[in-house]
Amino acid sequence: METFWEAFKRHGVSRRDFMKFAVTITGMMGLAPTMVPKVVRAMESKPRVPVIWIHGLECTCCSESFIRSATPLASDVVLSMISLEYDDTLSAAAGDAVEEHRKKIMKDYWGNYILAVEGNPPLGEEGMYCIINGKPFVEHLKESAEGAKAIISWGSCASWGCVQAAKPNPTTAVPVHKVITDKPIIKVPGCPPIAEVMTGVIMYMVLFDRIPPLDSQGRPKMFYGNRIHDTCYRRAFFNAGQFVERFDDEAAKKGWCLYKVGCRGPTTYNQCGSMRWYNGLSYPIQSGHGCIGCAEDNFWDNGPFYERLTNIPVPKQESNADKVGAVAAAAAVGGAIVHGIATKIRNSGKKEE
Amino acid sequence: MKEYKRFYIFSPSLRIWHWINFLSIMVLFATGIYIGNPFFIGSQGVEAALVHGQSLTMGLIREVHFIAGYILLASFIFRMLIALIDGRDRLFIPKVWKSEFWSRLGETLQEYALVKDSSEGSLQIRNPLARTAYFLVYIAILFMIITGFGMYGMSDPSGFWASIFGWVVWSLGGEFPTHMWHHWVAWLIILFAIVHVYLVIREDFTKKTGEVSSMFNGYKFFKKEPADLKELK
Repeated sequence: METFWEAFKRHGVSRRDFMKFAVTITGMMGLAPTMVPKVVRAMESKPRVPVIWIHGLECTCCSESFIRSATPLASDVVLSMISLEYDDTLSAAAGDAVEEHRKKIMKDYWGNYILAVEGNPPLGEEGMYCIINGKPFVEHLKESAEGAKAIISWGSCASWGCVQAAKPNPTTAVPVHKVITDKPIIKVPGCPPIAEVMTGVIMYMVLFDRIPPLDSQGRPKMFYGNRIHDTCYRRAFFNAGQFVERFDDEAAKKGWCLYKVGCRGPTTYNQCGSMRWYNGLSYPIQSGHGCIGCAEDNFWDNGPFYERLTNIPVPKQESNADKVGAVAAAAAVGGAIVHGIATKIRNSGKKEE
Repeated sequence: MKEYKRFYIFSPSLRIWHWINFLSIMVLFATGIYIGNPFFIGSQGVEAALVHGQSLTMGLIREVHFIAGYILLASFIFRMLIALIDGRDRLFIPKVWKSEFWSRLGETLQEYALVKDSSEGSLQIRNPLARTAYFLVYIAILFMIITGFGMYGMSDPSGFWASIFGWVVWSLGGEFPTHMWHHWVAWLIILFAIVHVYLVIREDFTKKTGEVSSMFNGYKFFKKEPADLKELK
């Protein structure tokens, strides 16, 4: 395989533009400027890495996000940086031809290719809820993972389970790490993940030939190290106690904090607050809608999205912890008074010894 | 009329701990309820970036919550240390492995169910039901400390607090469920406090043991030696 620099030259990229590109991606990967020479060196010497990208039970929003990456352009990543050998959604070829190619790549680069998984395998009915190339996706996944150097779990589906694994999970969809246990797995959660985060993870892996530093949950630290709340530009309103109460009130127009209308920013780890979306244009909170926590495990079951406290199951009515707690406390006080009076009656007429 | 005798029960360190614990829990609960459902306290019309320190803001109330949390942590460690050092301060351990525990538990339950008269049954410094309740409350406080500092620390996931308590966030299924658990258990502690205050006052009224004042001066009053007094020696 040719190196990145060779591939760039082939595409007619000047040395100056190549250097600019190296500086930009160093920043996008969250690395210090002192790392620029290392990035350049890697791009001049490292061969491009073959990637097999498979799709399970998913909505393709990860791919949709990925192809909108601006820095670097997804086309640059796909055509110049990695060698995307198999992707049943993006590739021109289809059917048996592309499946044969996948097997050939797996054989030729055994132990060296990266497996990117979008979506997850449903285990119910022996995997019959998702069929790829005539076989259950779970088998497709196991087969493709066998010779992989590492696995990237794209999006909340592959990382956590996401919508299809929400209660009651009719297809028994499980995240990739429940099926593949003997390979390093990089989780890139989000529904979808931010485009530049996706390309950033790939660039890190191909440039440095190792998986990025991961947190205890298996997510790259440089992209999932902060809560959205801690990087949110509306944080000042939170600290000041200035909150949107309803989506049509004056506070919403002024752009105050969305905490009270259910924003999950305080409990969600992602880069939305700093990298933002569409080449840094905006993100949900900036557009006036609270975060729904899509990059978190079980986010779909942690509703309702527009309330700060979730309901707790009290029959036949909407109740949160504060309401139930206040009622229980009042009942406890009332019970104490009644019990006290009953004690008094029970012990009455008794003489002091 | 038989004379009451005075028995020294609670050490000064235990009494000081009890009131520090009480104060910090009250502050934590009040500020915690505010944080869960904040509202304006007169900070309208002020530039958000400058409002901190001008009045009771979310930022200030959270800071009070965190300071009280540190005090709760310190006092909890102190409580465990004095329990290690002095047998007098180990009365919160339910001795479920002893048969008296279960017979006395039955007695106390019958007394509270008003089946038995309050003057019947054996005298105890601390009945098994109370021991069980205190033990569970210590666990609840520990849970609040762990979840609280877990959430507090995760603003810096590679920092000190996250390295000690960060695991709890993931074992409860993520940070959002952790917030909810923190909220629910806070209410359980308040429910305990209500029942606790009632039963202490009730004990004082029915048995005249000086239960309420014992947490100030350390002494309880009994006509004969209570059955579990030997634990203090």
